[in-house]
Amino acid sequence: MSTALAKTAAEEALGFQLPHRRMEDWRWTDLRQMIDKPYPPRQKVQAKAGEVERLVGASIFASVAATRMVFVNGEYDAAHSRLANAWVESKSELSDPINLMNVAFATDGARLRIEGNVDTPIELIFVSTDAAPRTVATRNVIEVADDASATIVETHLGEGSYLANSVTEIRVGNNARLDRVKVELESHDAVHLAHCHVIVGHSVTFRDFTLTTGAKLNRQDGTFRFIGEFADAKVSGAYLLAGKQHADTRLVVDHEVANCASRELFKCVMDDHARGIFQGKVIVRPGAQKTDGKQSSHALLLSETAEFDAKPELEIYADDVACGHGATSGDLNHDHVFYLKSRGIPEAEAKALLIAAFVGEAFDMIHHDGIKAALEEFAARWLTEHRRKG
Amino acid sequence: MTLLNIDNLHVKLEDEDREIIRGLSLKVNPGEVHAIMGPNGSGKSTLSYVLSGREGYEVTEGSVTYKGEDLLEMPPEERAAKGVFLAFQYPIEIPGVATMQFLKVALNSQRKARGEKELSTPDFMRLVKDRAAKLNVSQDMLKRPVNVGFSGGEKKRAEILQMAVLEPSLCILDETDSGLDIDALRVVAEGVNALRSPDRGMIVITHYQRLLDYIVPDFVHVLSKGRIVKSGDKSLALELEEKGYAEFTQDAA
Repeated sequence: MSTALAKTAAEEALGFQLPHRRMEDWRWTDLRQMIDKPYPPRQKVQAKAGEVERLVGASIFASVAATRMVFVNGEYDAAHSRLANAWVESKSELSDPINLMNVAFATDGARLRIEGNVDTPIELIFVSTDAAPRTVATRNVIEVADDASATIVETHLGEGSYLANSVTEIRVGNNARLDRVKVELESHDAVHLAHCHVIVGHSVTFRDFTLTTGAKLNRQDGTFRFIGEFADAKVSGAYLLAGKQHADTRLVVDHEVANCASRELFKCVMDDHARGIFQGKVIVRPGAQKTDGKQSSHALLLSETAEFDAKPELEIYADDVACGHGATSGDLNHDHVFYLKSRGIPEAEAKALLIAAFVGEAFDMIHHDGIKAALEEFAARWLTEHRRKG
Repeated sequence: MTLLNIDNLHVKLEDEDREIIRGLSLKVNPGEVHAIMGPNGSGKSTLSYVLSGREGYEVTEGSVTYKGEDLLEMPPEERAAKGVFLAFQYPIEIPGVATMQFLKVALNSQRKARGEKELSTPDFMRLVKDRAAKLNVSQDMLKRPVNVGFSGGEKKRAEILQMAVLEPSLCILDETDSGLDIDALRVVAEGVNALRSPDRGMIVITHYQRLLDYIVPDFVHVLSKGRIVKSGDKSLALELEEKGYAEFTQDAA
């Protein structure tokens, strides 16, 4: 019997049980055990003077984005934003636990409709300020019109103890392009639960990248549905985890129609006692011939006590497809380290170079050079700050 | 001053009792090129790894003095900063690290360790461009990750380019001729010869005499079962080629 069970606001309000390890999709992330506080929802919190400016200033995309929407403690903050916003409650078909919590507790979120070519990245910043532990839930609905294109970056930041619940629904119209980059830089005492649900149309180019590095407990679900032919989706991500951080990503790529291509690539770095999980499922529906679906996850374990679990799944109901998966896990290659040292590069720097190269492969799927550079710089900074040992 | 003094060196693998180097002594002075020849398993590569500081070997007896200091006490990066360079028999591929970036980090790490000013990006680019042109190393190769997708010849040329950029005092070339056709061999040898200088010593490790037609050594040593069994001038290499190793290695058994 879990102690968190009786206390969790979600369970009290909704009358359902949080996911636990006897549910297959949640076997590594037992929320009934791992959510350590009740985190009551809809708590009005006033940010302290300068707090929002400081947190928004911590976004790594300051010089990249033009349009920016800032959400402070779950509510739209016009003063710090550079865009008008109108929130419309959206009906959702999703029934997974993260989404149910979100439906019950969401206070605000971005509703975007992209038309034409929006060249400069749009940034959505979700900031949680330091206050009593609580749930902060936001819901975004992004619609990219036919033939439109955009780059959207989502930054999640905060201080103190809270549970952030973030659900994003995306629909990408025919012949459209969307690049989405999400950066989870939550407070180290935060829980981050997210679900991104994407539907892509005919001949769409979709890129999705997620950096997971802030929260103590992170669970991110992604559902990607192909409903029009000749679409191409690349979903990538990187973990930079240390201490006792726990991150679990579960992706479902659903090929409902023929002639689409999907790629998933996750590069996960775990130090100390951190634990990373990657669950990737590719579904090829009957008739979805010529599907090209590949997924891979690679883990770099920097300590004896770090752990990585991978569960690739293929569910294929068509016979003319090319699908595959791969997962690797290990520590740094000693021959690589020696080669760099033999050229005069000190051990710590040699290792940082190799780790940066390892995660860098996941950044390569990002189109926008400024975003890529900001991520590379962030990763380099993380590596120097978290890797004191040689 | 003697550049390198190996005195009665005994080496075994850390997790095995069998000795691989068994009482090897060798002196290298600045300006000299020493060739070490020997059959497979004679300890040639082990010697190169021990000198460059690779893990997994244990020195059980003897000493290695480099410019008057105990070389074996130094970690690999310190040896490199002080001028020891090993051109690998099998250069390592490092995905995700561009060759240019790698060269810059390596050179500036060494300069920093020696208390010298780091090279600015334009100065560095100029230096690499100059050295690369002489070795037929293309700009495309410099942009690619270190050794990834390089042919055998390209890897060896990239090793010599690193040597030309880092300008070491002691160059150890481990079977630099292996896997090279005659044209690639000539390019590599020219690159090495361009680096011969009165204050630089070289140890050229090779199985075949062929390389020594291009890089003419001052001394030739025959290595057998972990020790030098015969030393001479360049004519010894020709003699070896003619008679084979057996003649020289019997008495070492």
